[in-house]
Amino acid sequence: MAEEEDDPGFDEDVDDGGNGAESGQGKRKRLFSKELRCMMYGFGDDQNPYTESVDILEDLVIEFITEMTHKAMSIGRQGRVQVEDIVFLIRKDPRKFARVKDLLTMNEELKKARKAFDEANYGS
Amino acid sequence: MADPARVKTEVVFSETSTSTDRPKQSEGSSDGPVNASTTSEPTAVQTSIKEEGKGRSAEDTAAGEEEDEASSSLHPPPATKLKVEHEKKKEKRQKVDEDEIQKMQVLVSSFSEEQLNRYEMYRRSAFPKAAIKRLIQSITGSSVSQNVVIAMSGISKVFAGEIVEEALDVCEKWGDTPPLQPKHMREAVRRLKSREQTPNTKHKHILFH
Repeated sequence: MAEEEDDPGFDEDVDDGGNGAESGQGKRKRLFSKELRCMMYGFGDDQNPYTESVDILEDLVIEFITEMTHKAMSIGRQGRVQVEDIVFLIRKDPRKFARVKDLLTMNEELKKARKAFDEANYGS
Repeated sequence: MADPARVKTEVVFSETSTSTDRPKQSEGSSDGPVNASTTSEPTAVQTSIKEEGKGRSAEDTAAGEEEDEASSSLHPPPATKLKVEHEKKKEKRQKVDEDEIQKMQVLVSSFSEEQLNRYEMYRRSAFPKAAIKRLIQSITGSSVSQNVVIAMSGISKVFAGEIVEEALDVCEKWGDTPPLQPKHMREAVRRLKSREQTPNTKHKHILFH
């Protein structure tokens, strides 16, 4: 709790985001606690990261997603979020751009493979 | 008749040979010296040898066959030439991918148990798609496609990784030990913000006031 009072920025985010009736970050249910712990260990932290650090990271990720969504809504087709908008917003950051391209390509390949597999089964 | 054809083919080949830095033996006309030099590194040597080889074969085709089968690459209309270049680049990219996959396999096979655990967590951890979809939809108010959720989860994971890595740098620089503390995370965010890797739309740039 002390960390949140030190950082008014995080509280302001929630008030602007309007996520329900909660007034502070601490009151919203933690969405990603388990996954974030595994992720932090995978990225190099200790096997048991501090809960406060996980909380801060979750707030940062939610803020990131919120900002990206707002930006994506304001470009391209207004009021909707589309993949092309996300790719456009990310274009300056090489790591994220490469990752998005990889993920979308792999998704397409998997879809094709599944379709081919299903058709093969249907034939036999 | 022969001269313009020969000039054209040489121009074509100097273009294709400078655009790729690996000798490709696929396009028929150049065998012999170019294939023998497939393993040599310096591209300058390769391009000069290629042009010699092309020059020889250009003479052959000018003298004899003007047909498109063997010399499809010698008289390519622009569309075929682009397609040929694209295939060469795809081959090169596939070979680079295979090299990288092999190197990764060698690396992973030499991991200790703790490193294997960490690597497994790194690859497998992911944000739950349902929660991300719910979050995005609560912001937009309308539904979003699956690809958007996939892209957003992927980018968020990269973002989390950047912060954790930067925080580990800060932690090491300040002489602390691993379980990351909030002060490390905040300093990491401050650094990323100054490098503009964190999105920040809270400041309006007023240009003239």
